[in-house]
Amino acid sequence: MNPPATFSELVWLARWPLLYGLGTTVAISLLAIIGGTVLGTLLGLVLTYGSRASRFGARLYTDFVRGTPVLVLVLASFYILGVAGLDLSAFQAGVLALTVFCSSHVGEVTRGALQSIHKGQGEAAKAIGLTFSQSFRHVLGPQALRLALPALINTAVEMVKASTLLSVIGVAELLLRTQEVISRTFQSLEFYLLAGFLYFAVNYAIERLGRYVERRTSLA
Amino acid sequence: MGMKQIIVGLMAAVSVASAVEQASAAKLEDVLARGKLVVGTGSTNAPWHFKDASDTLQGFDVDVAKIVAKALFGDVEKVEFVNQSSDARIPNITTGKVDMTCQFMTVTGERAQQVNFTIPYYREGVGLMLKEGGQYADYAALKAAGSSVTIAVLQNVYAEELVHKALPEATVDQYDAQDLLYQALQSGRADAAATDQSSIAWYVTQNPGQYKDGGYGWSPQSYACAVAKGDQDWLNFVNTALHEAMTGVEFDAYAASYKKWFGKDLAPPAIGFPVEFK
Repeated sequence: MNPPATFSELVWLARWPLLYGLGTTVAISLLAIIGGTVLGTLLGLVLTYGSRASRFGARLYTDFVRGTPVLVLVLASFYILGVAGLDLSAFQAGVLALTVFCSSHVGEVTRGALQSIHKGQGEAAKAIGLTFSQSFRHVLGPQALRLALPALINTAVEMVKASTLLSVIGVAELLLRTQEVISRTFQSLEFYLLAGFLYFAVNYAIERLGRYVERRTSLA
Repeated sequence: MGMKQIIVGLMAAVSVASAVEQASAAKLEDVLARGKLVVGTGSTNAPWHFKDASDTLQGFDVDVAKIVAKALFGDVEKVEFVNQSSDARIPNITTGKVDMTCQFMTVTGERAQQVNFTIPYYREGVGLMLKEGGQYADYAALKAAGSSVTIAVLQNVYAEELVHKALPEATVDQYDAQDLLYQALQSGRADAAATDQSSIAWYVTQNPGQYKDGGYGWSPQSYACAVAKGDQDWLNFVNTALHEAMTGVEFDAYAASYKKWFGKDLAPPAIGFPVEFK
């Protein structure tokens, strides 16, 4: 009989599944964060500057999505959309659910940031003849970004963590890959710790990136 | 476990919502026309459905699905596995995401109201795993020792009751994960581990000469594949494939798989009068 493999040997043997899992986790998170940020920024603009009717619609969407557990969104986009005729793969359904969830959070963060900018700023921009898009690009946007950044980073980190829920519908992200390795090696504690470390590494990278952007955009 | 309840609740809602869909009754033709069988199973439970070191899905459930694929196409490889969690077994059938599910699914009356079970392909039970050359030789020795034996079991509301069905006086230690049971046994903190007999069979096979089965099983449950309701032809077909794997032309494939995952040889069915009418 072979001597029992050490943990580092087991990790080495499992390197590809775990790396693919990590890659899938990063891909899901990136897609959801990018999609959610684009959608959410638009949502925030509507929530702040939209007409009464569009504000109402955006508010309904935001409150409904924010009030629903992510897991329910994931299951709904996989099963209910499937029954409704939109047959998404598990990966697509998962990314869609996280994007929608992310957008509702970014929408609220954007609205909060825009509303905390003094009214005079927008009025001054208008007074010197800037169009709305110009004033957003050069006056309101940069200030809002500075205000919103900590909350945005927080949302991004939440998305990475929420991506673990996709294992329920069979997306082979890092958590599911880790569980697969555990079922072969019977070393749950060690491999969960390793997965925890990898999640931390991803989130730490996001946090550093956030700090970098914060420095670049700060006034000082 | 709030999360579990959410899943179960939503799954139930989806199952009801999709009940309308189940009417299409030509699954066999659909599968043959498609040229491959779509089977739902998991990837995190040895020896049923799990990945080997090169990331290939394997296990007894996987082999059973391949036997059905062979009956369809004469080719065990014409099967696509959909990775699903245990909670997704019934919804993935009722929403038509899979043609059938083979995922160590215990047959219960409640589930049989939602899906059609095939004939069972394994009878699971709880057993006791002991260390080879340890203080206690088998189940009888453990029982005779009364309250001085400690049994490791997976944490569960019914865990203590379950162990006491076989060993009424034993001390029960509950653990969070399967590997912790084995560690407790290995380190001597427990005298035996009570767990599924299939898990014991697999672990004993994986660690030759170190562990053994206590030779007593209790708490029986049937494992069967499941298909959508409303298509008797498809159910009959899968049943026929499974039946002939256990008693007829595909017995060798079934027995080889059984040997591989559970470490035991099966006696071939008696020739002559059909075994099932004995």
